[in-house]
This record gives sequence, structure tokens and C-alpha cells, in this order.
Amino acid sequence: MRKSPLKALVVLPIILFSLSACQSPSPSAPPPAETHAPSQTPSPTAQMPSAGYPQETPSRTLTLAIGGESSEGYDPTLGWGRYGSPLFQSTLLRRNADLKIVNDLAINYTVSEDRLVWTVDIRSDVKFSDGRPLTARDVAFTYNQAAKSAGLTDLSMLDQAIAVDEDTVELRLKQPTSTFVNRLITLGIVPEHAYGEGYGRNPIGSGPYQLVQWDEGQQLIVEPNPHYYGEKPQFDRVVFLFTSEDAGFAAAKAGQVHVVSVPQALGKQTLEGMRVLPVPSIDNRGIMFPFVPDMGEKTEKGYPIGNNVTADLAIRRAINYAIDRQALVEGVLEGFGAPAYGPADYVPWWEPESAIRDNDPRTAQRILREGGWQDTDGDGVLEKGDLEARFTLVYPASDSTRQSLALAVADMVRPIGIQIELRGASWDEIETLMHSNAVLFGWGSHDQTEMYNLYHSSMRGKGWYNTGFYANEQVDNYLDLAMGAPTEEEALVYWRAAQWDKKGVGFTTKGDAAWAWLVNLQHVYFVSDCLDVGKQQIQPHGHGWPITFNITEWRWICQ
Amino acid sequence: MNLEVSRSSTLWCRVGLARQKVFDRRRQTLFLIVFCVLCLGVILAGSAQAAVANQTNLSQRNQAPSWAHPFGTDWLGRDMLLRTWSGLSLSLRVGFLAALFSSLIGLVIGLTAATLGGAVDAFFSWWIDVFLSLPHMVVLILLAFVSGGGLNGVVISVALTHWPSLARVIRAEVYQVRSADYVQLSAKLGRSPSWIARHHILPHLWPQFLVGLILLFPHAILHEAGITFIGIGLSPHQPAIGIILAESMRHLSTGYWWLAVLPGMALLVMVKLFDILGENVRALLDPRTAQE
Repeated sequence: MRKSPLKALVVLPIILFSLSACQSPSPSAPPPAETHAPSQTPSPTAQMPSAGYPQETPSRTLTLAIGGESSEGYDPTLGWGRYGSPLFQSTLLRRNADLKIVNDLAINYTVSEDRLVWTVDIRSDVKFSDGRPLTARDVAFTYNQAAKSAGLTDLSMLDQAIAVDEDTVELRLKQPTSTFVNRLITLGIVPEHAYGEGYGRNPIGSGPYQLVQWDEGQQLIVEPNPHYYGEKPQFDRVVFLFTSEDAGFAAAKAGQVHVVSVPQALGKQTLEGMRVLPVPSIDNRGIMFPFVPDMGEKTEKGYPIGNNVTADLAIRRAINYAIDRQALVEGVLEGFGAPAYGPADYVPWWEPESAIRDNDPRTAQRILREGGWQDTDGDGVLEKGDLEARFTLVYPASDSTRQSLALAVADMVRPIGIQIELRGASWDEIETLMHSNAVLFGWGSHDQTEMYNLYHSSMRGKGWYNTGFYANEQVDNYLDLAMGAPTEEEALVYWRAAQWDKKGVGFTTKGDAAWAWLVNLQHVYFVSDCLDVGKQQIQPHGHGWPITFNITEWRWICQ
Repeated sequence: MNLEVSRSSTLWCRVGLARQKVFDRRRQTLFLIVFCVLCLGVILAGSAQAAVANQTNLSQRNQAPSWAHPFGTDWLGRDMLLRTWSGLSLSLRVGFLAALFSSLIGLVIGLTAATLGGAVDAFFSWWIDVFLSLPHMVVLILLAFVSGGGLNGVVISVALTHWPSLARVIRAEVYQVRSADYVQLSAKLGRSPSWIARHHILPHLWPQFLVGLILLFPHAILHEAGITFIGIGLSPHQPAIGIILAESMRHLSTGYWWLAVLPGMALLVMVKLFDILGENVRALLDPRTAQE
């Protein structure tokens, strides 16, 4: 087993070499005369030709090692692209680099007065990659299918989708939902005629690229969809390599990839011919605390609920005040991030006043003292009656950043008399532990529904959402008002109030301190100096390929 | 790994023979004593360091080896010397427990098979063959999973996979002793097989057992490092030597060589020392080489 990383390093260049060897004069590449002359550029892989020599037809291949393999396949109705940019499919709407909502397949949409019916007009000139036209029937089919399969794309609010005519579709909801527009942004449309078992492995869609080959666990090759209605992508072939973090970095060092995503800890390195590109994100990390005491209750699956120590408000609040978030950003993330105080910092629905002055052990100690915690036996760990201020923090063992955050936080709260034991576990194990132990989770979405799911009492114990069984009637009320608001804008005030309403209610530190949010990550990429990846948006949690949201705008800028 | 170690052992043995004047028995004994004290020191001191070894210091990250941190620090500012120390101590404890259990299993099975003979012997011999024919690492991984992971999982899996070769040696030894005249006579005098096993055969097996135990030790440590390296058993923040090495792999391409090289060397030295120790004990106990 020890040899495997080495083997990967040896095998990778061979794969890359054979790949680039296969591609040189590509018959599918358009002749230079057809493309817009000024931006005509030689191949990134064909680095040899020098000025003065006739160049062969350029094959513009891009090699990316940005992770994001979807092991369950590329079926949007099952959750592919749930954070946006599905690549193979296109969506009704999309968010641009400034996160503004713009049309994609849709020409416009209207919402009925009772906010139960969304009517969307779609373009009539769109074809799938197999040449068949995309109609309102496909849209309706996609929405109904996604609601039926109840995958990771939450469409539980959808009653029914109906194609009114060739290019109009009606989406009927069970209850008014202000966040429904996010479904229009993230759900890629699948063709009714080509959908069936195995679609995820062989996706046909109307997105800018189509899948050519997928070697699971190794690479995925895509080529432009000839029928794509938007701006034609400049690259004839894109190869996604699925490597471990260190192999991806080594490949970039060897000049074999054009874009590589690296853990923040590697962001301070330098690579010849590449520049570091930190992209802000709302991908966050925080500690979820079980909110209820251990009363011996169990979930339906038989997992224990509750933790007596973290159920104490003083403990949760004190931890929030004691943590030095800036030190976590500098020390663990090498500066590629920002302190986080809530689940959605720095986006329009963030309540800035929910932020606190942290790295304040004195306040933390005062809170604990007032909460009745004292070190009666002098062992450095506080007690309250028979209870010791000691609990377990579980982190996913495979994630080095979360492990580092957990270790650093445990060290930061030890001086105030709280002992955090750490436990690294697989996701399967975490599922059994997450209702009775603190867990280092990560979230972050452009969709406010996530906030609702994390904190609404109706989501207690549902999937991975409100695993700590948090419940507060007033917070529920704000979340319901936000969800039922007529528009996204009108909902903002309620989303903010749920975080902290300035009158004593909220799920952030000043209120119930249900979580201790730690940091917002910056996603760190190394990008070839010859590649312009355009303006990047604030990225969501890192499933899929968020950097490719504007892949059609990417340009090769070297001669 | 089995083959490699035994091959290198033979090599060392030859080197030992060539230098018999230098490595006489007294020096060997002296060496053993010093070595044992050293190990005990590592074990006792290392386990006391476990909490300190995990202490992060975000202002002193990724420092190259210096006087303050002879093994350097890692990406969280943890002192690598303390982590290595603590990791070796964990490895030694796991290795000792696993080797002890494993050799006890080997002893019992070897003794039972040869003493009872017949169908029982055939059955155990078959089991020994089965275990020897399966790839070590695969069985280790499976057993570590089945036994629930954690430190116990590692100990159990290593213990349950390392007994067959010793069992085979002991079985052969028992067969040899059993055919001796005094044992035959004892049987004719009506002693039961178990009485003969305890009073005539077992005393002959102690040297084999002891050597087997010591030689199993480096195997057990390496395998403990192996399965913690691939992430089975312990939480990744626990300073086991395999985990330290696995983590350092991620940082090799960044040029932080001390994260892998120094703990790796420490593991190598420790394993090699035990290997030499085993060989020396074997040479001392073997009547053919004891006088050399």
C-alpha cells in the first residue's frame, strides 16, 4: 500500500502523455479561418511550434484537476449540480459572476398572485446534444422526476409541473416558497426521450459540453456540445482528472494540468507558469452542537439523541467567544479564508450584527461562571454539579482541513476549562454519532433553503440537516415568514432576523449559539498563466465544479 | 514483508558470524540490556507525551529541524520529535501486545496439532496453510474492520494473522521431541498426551517461543504502521507512526522533507534493532551457535 501514491505519480504523466498524444491534429477542431481571428491561439498542449513555422490544426485541450467527481453519476434529478453549474445540462435560470439571477433556458417567468404557480417561458431554439429539440415537456418531466426521486435536490414543495404548450411550463407548488427560484437556477434539464436507467453515466443535455468518456476514479473527458445555444466554448476538449490532492499538485508542478485545486495549506506555494487564484466562497466550516440534553431518546434508526454538556447554553456561547477565528484562518487556512459567525456570511441575507468579538477568553469565562460552571476539583476542567465540561467533537477522518480545525479549536477552549475529545470517523459512523456529539460540518449554498433546513424545528433529525435537534419557536416563525415571503428581496429581512433579531432571538452566538461557526474558506486554485478563467463568482460548498460556471468564457491568452 | 525480513535476518546473521570476535556473547548481552532500557524509556516517556504531542502552535508552523525542534514542526506547529516519540511508543505497545498474543496462539496451536496428531493435526495444518496463502495485508484489513476498528482492532488483527509460521515451527519441533526415546518411554509408561506435552515437550519449546516472539515484534510494528498508514483503526489525529507517515505524504511535494524522513528513520531503526535482538537471542539459544 505504501507504494500507491508513488505509483499514481508515475502513472499520471503516462496517462497524460498518451492523452495528449491521441489528440494532436484533431479532425473535430474547426479550421482556423472559421474562428474569430484575434483570439485564435495555438494549443495549450502543443507547446512546441514557434513563430515562422506553419502550425498544424490546433487542438485545444484543457486539463483540469479540480476534483468533484460525482460517483453516483451526472443525473440532475438525483442531485448532480445541486450547487449550480451542471456543465452537461442547462438550467432555466443561472447566477452570473455577481450572483445576479439571469435567464438561461428561460426567456422570462411570472409568479401567480397566490405565489403557488410559477409560469416559465423557455427558448424554442434549444437542442439537446443528440440533436432533438428541448421543449416544455422535457422541463416538466425533469421537475416531476426530481420530485419523485426525492434525491439531494429538494423539490418537496413541488406539487406538479405541467407543460402548457411547446415553450411554456407551469410549476405548481404545494405552498408558497420564496426560495423556489433557486431550483430554477440549479436543476439541469434532462431529455424525456433519453432518460432512463443509466442516464447518470451517459448524460445527454443542452449544456455547453457533452460527456465523451468517464473512467471512474480516474478521469472524465468532455467535448463541446455542437448544438449548444450559448457562446461556443473555446476548448475542443476538457479532461477532468480525479487525483488525490498531492498527486494533482505534483501534476501541476510538472506542467501537466492547466487548473488544479489545492488545499488551502498549499496556497502559499509557487508553481512555475501558474498563478494562484483564491476564490471567495460561502463554503463554511463550523461545529454543530447537540441542542437537547440526553434523555435516553433515539432516532428512528436507533441513534442516540442529545448531549448534556452541549445542551448548556453557557458552554456553547463560551466556546463561540473563546475561539480565535482569525488565528484559524491564518494558521490552518494559510490566510485563504475569513472568520465565520453564521451559516451564510457575506451574502445578501447575512445579518452582520450577528458577528461577535471573539478570541475573548475573559468573556467566555464570565459566561461559564454565570452559567454555574466551576473547577471544584482543580483538574483544569469545569464542573456543574455532577457534570464535567467534557464532550466529543467528531470530524470526518478523510478531511485534513477539518481535522486541523478540530485540533486547533480543542486547544483554544482548553484554557477556559472545556475539554474537547476528538474523534475522526467515516461519514457512515458520523451518521450514528451526529445527534449526540458535536460534529465539524461544512455547508454553504446560494440557496437560503439551507439555512431553513439547518435551523427549523421541522427538520430535526431529518437527514444531515438539523442533526442537533435545535428548536426555537420564534426562530421557526422568522424562517417560516422568510420562506412564505412573496419575493427573495422581501424574505431577506426575515432571514436576517432568524440569525439575530436584535431583540434577543436568533440562532447565532448572541441568541441560542446553536453552532460555533468557524471559517469561510477561499477555494484555492493554481491556474496556468496562459488561461483566463474570467470573473469568478462567490463559490458555494465544493461539490461539483463551481469554477466551471463560466467555462464558455474561458480563453487561452498565450501566443 | 515476511520474506524480506527473514532474508535480511540471515544476512545480519552472516555479518554477525563474520564479526564473531567483535560481537561475542558478553557484548551481545550488554547490547541487549542497553536496548531494553532504551525501549522501556521510549514506551514510558512516549505514552506520557501523547497529550503534549498533539498540542498545536499555530505561530510555529512548518519549521525545519532546529535545536528547539530537532525533528521540525508540522503544519499545525506540533513538535515532530514529540509526535514521533509518542507514535513509536504506541507502535511498541501495539507491537508487544500483538506479538505476545500471536505467539501464544502459535504455541498452543503448534503444540495441540503435534501432540494430538491425526485429524486434529490435519485440521490445524490446513488452517496454517490457509493463513499463509492469504495475502497478509488483505486479511489484516478485513480483521481490523470486523473487530470494530480502533486500537483493539489493530491489536486483534495483527495478533490473529502472525501466528502461522511460529505454529509451524513449533509443530515441527514437537514432532522431533516426540520421537525421542524418553518421550516414547513415558508414553509406554501410561502418561497421557497432555501430561507429556506439559512435562516433556513444553520445556523444549521455550527457546523457539522466545525467539519467535521477538522476531514477530518488528513484523507487528510494521503492520501496525501499515494499517494505520492506510487509515484503518485509529483517528487521524492520534500520533501513530503510520498515521504520521501517511499525513506527511501530502506535504512531500511542498518540500517539508522532515515530516516523513525523520519519523520514517526512527521506525526503521526501531524495527531493525528488534530484528538484530531476535537474531542474537536465537544465536545464543541455539546449541550450534551458542559457543561462537
